[in-house]
Amino acid sequence: MSVLRRLPIYLAVWAWVAFTVAALLWVVMSAFKSKREVLRSGLKPPAELRWENFETAWNVGRLGEFFTNSVVIVGLSVLLILAVSTPAAYVLSRATFRGREALTNLFVIGMGIPIPMLFIPIFGILAWLRLSDSLTGLTLVFVAVSIPFTVYLLTGFFASLPSELEAAALLDGCSDFQAFLHVMLPMAMPGVATAAILNFIWLWNEYQLSLVILNSPDNRTLPLGLYSLQNAMQYTSDWPGLFAGVTIVIIPTILVYAVLSERMITGMTMGAVK
Amino acid sequence: MIGQRLIGLFLTPALAIYLCLFLIPTGCTFYFSLFEWSGFGSDARFVGFGNYRRLWNDPTFWLSFRNTSALLFAGGFFVFLLAFLYTILINSGIWGKKLFRLIFFLPNVVSVVALSAMWAYIYNPRHGLLNSTLKSVGLDELGRTLWTSPDNIFWAMLAALVWVFTGFFLILLLAGVDKIPLDMYEAADLEGASHWHKFWYITVPMIWDVMTISFVIWIINAVKMFEFPFAFGFLQVPQQLYTLGIYLYIMGFGQRDPIYQLGYATAIGVVMLIVAFSLILLVRRLMRRDRLEF
Repeated sequence: MSVLRRLPIYLAVWAWVAFTVAALLWVVMSAFKSKREVLRSGLKPPAELRWENFETAWNVGRLGEFFTNSVVIVGLSVLLILAVSTPAAYVLSRATFRGREALTNLFVIGMGIPIPMLFIPIFGILAWLRLSDSLTGLTLVFVAVSIPFTVYLLTGFFASLPSELEAAALLDGCSDFQAFLHVMLPMAMPGVATAAILNFIWLWNEYQLSLVILNSPDNRTLPLGLYSLQNAMQYTSDWPGLFAGVTIVIIPTILVYAVLSERMITGMTMGAVK
Repeated sequence: MIGQRLIGLFLTPALAIYLCLFLIPTGCTFYFSLFEWSGFGSDARFVGFGNYRRLWNDPTFWLSFRNTSALLFAGGFFVFLLAFLYTILINSGIWGKKLFRLIFFLPNVVSVVALSAMWAYIYNPRHGLLNSTLKSVGLDELGRTLWTSPDNIFWAMLAALVWVFTGFFLILLLAGVDKIPLDMYEAADLEGASHWHKFWYITVPMIWDVMTISFVIWIINAVKMFEFPFAFGFLQVPQQLYTLGIYLYIMGFGQRDPIYQLGYATAIGVVMLIVAFSLILLVRRLMRRDRLEF
C-alpha cells in the first residue's frame, strides 16, 4: 500500500492513541499544579512541581495508610488465590475421575454471575462469621470471586503442557504429589505468573465489594480512599490533590503493565482464542 | 496416575471457599428474594413473589433496566464497531502494531475510580478539557454544553465506557485475527478480492468463535455494570445513571441514608442473573455453527 493511502489509517489510530496518552498524562501533570493553575493552564505543563499535593493526598487524604491496606490485602489475596487454584486446576486438567467435567463447569460458571448479586448475602455471611468490616473478610471474598477465572486460566494452561515428563517421573517412582511439585508446577510457572499479574491488577482496582464490606475509614483500600477523596473534592475543589491521589493509585498497575504487558495480554487472550 | 487422595486434597480448599463465599451466597439470593426483610438484625417476612410484583410496578426499577439495556445494546454497538474498525486498521500492516495494542488496552489496567475522576474533569463545564478544546477550535456553541447535565450524563458516561472497553475487545479480536494463516489472504489477493470481501469471507468466519466469546464477555460486563457509573455519579448518583447493579446497591444499603430493603434488593439481583444467562444462551444459540476446519 502506498504511504498516501495509509495516511488516513495512521491518523485514525494515532488520534485514539494520542487522546489516551494525553488524557492520562494530563492527569499526572495536573497533580503537580496549584489549584488556580489547574483551572487556567489547560494542557500546559506545570510551572513548578508542587510535590506538596502528593503530601496532602498521602497524609491528609490518608492514602498512605490505605496504600498499606491495599498492598497487604491484595498481596495476601493473590497468594491465597494461587495456592488454592493451582492444585485445583492441575487436578481438573490432568486427573481422570468421575464428574471432572461437571466440576470444571461448576468452577467456570462463576465467571457469569453478576457480582452485585453477592452484595447482600456476602454482607450477611461475613456478619455471621463476625468478619464484617474486616480486611480478613474482604480477603476471603476476593479469593472466592477470583477462583473461577484463575481456575479457568490455569486449567487451560496445564492442559497445554506435554504429558511425557509427568509420565516419566511417575515411572521413575515419584509419587503423584512429587510429580506435581517437581515436574508440572515448574513447567506451569509462566501460567501461574500470568494469573498472579491479572489478579493483582483487578484486585488493586476492585472497589464494589470493598465498598459493601468495609465501613470504617481505617480499613479503606486505595480505590475507596480515592473515592472519598473524590467526594470531598466537591466541597474543597482541590483538583490537584485529587489528581495526586489518582496518580498514586494508578502508578503501580501502570508500572506492572509497562513491564509485563506482553505476558498479560497473552494470558488474557489465551482463554478466548484457542 | 493421579491418586484419589491427591484429587481430594487438591480440590477441597478451592471448592470450599468458592462454594461458601460465592456459589451458595448466589443461591441464597433466590431464597432471600421471597422475603420482605428490612435489615440484618430484623425478622424476615415471607411474601412469595411479592418483591417481583413490586419491581414490575416500580418506575425506578424500569429506569435502571432501561439504562442497563441502553448500555448493553447502544454501548455494545459502539464498542464492537470501534473494536472491529481498529482491529482492521491496526492489522493492515502499519508500523507500531504492538505499541498501539499496548495503549488501546491501557485504560483497562487503571482503577475505575481514577478514570471517573479523570472524566469528571474532562467534562467539567467551565474548565474541562473537552469544552476548552472545543472553544479553542472555534466551536463556541458546542463548547458551552453541560456534558454532565441530567439530559447528557448517561451518554457522557457511556462514551467514557466505550473508550475503556474498545481496547479490551480490540485485544481479543486482534489475537483472533493473528491466528488466521496469511496464505488465505494471499490466495484471495490472487483472485482479486477487495478489502471488504476479504474481511467478510475470511476474517469474520475465521474469528467467529472469538466473536462469540467477546459478545458473551460483553453481556456479562454490561449486565453487572456498577463501578464506573457509580463512581461517575460522585456523592449522590443521579437516577439517570442508575443501572440494575446500582439500584440493587441503593435498595440494599442506601447512599446517604440507609434503606435496607434487603429482600427487594436481592430480587433485583435475581433479575440480573436471569437477564445475563438468557442473553448468553441466546447469543450462543444464534452464533452456533459447525466448526471450521483448516
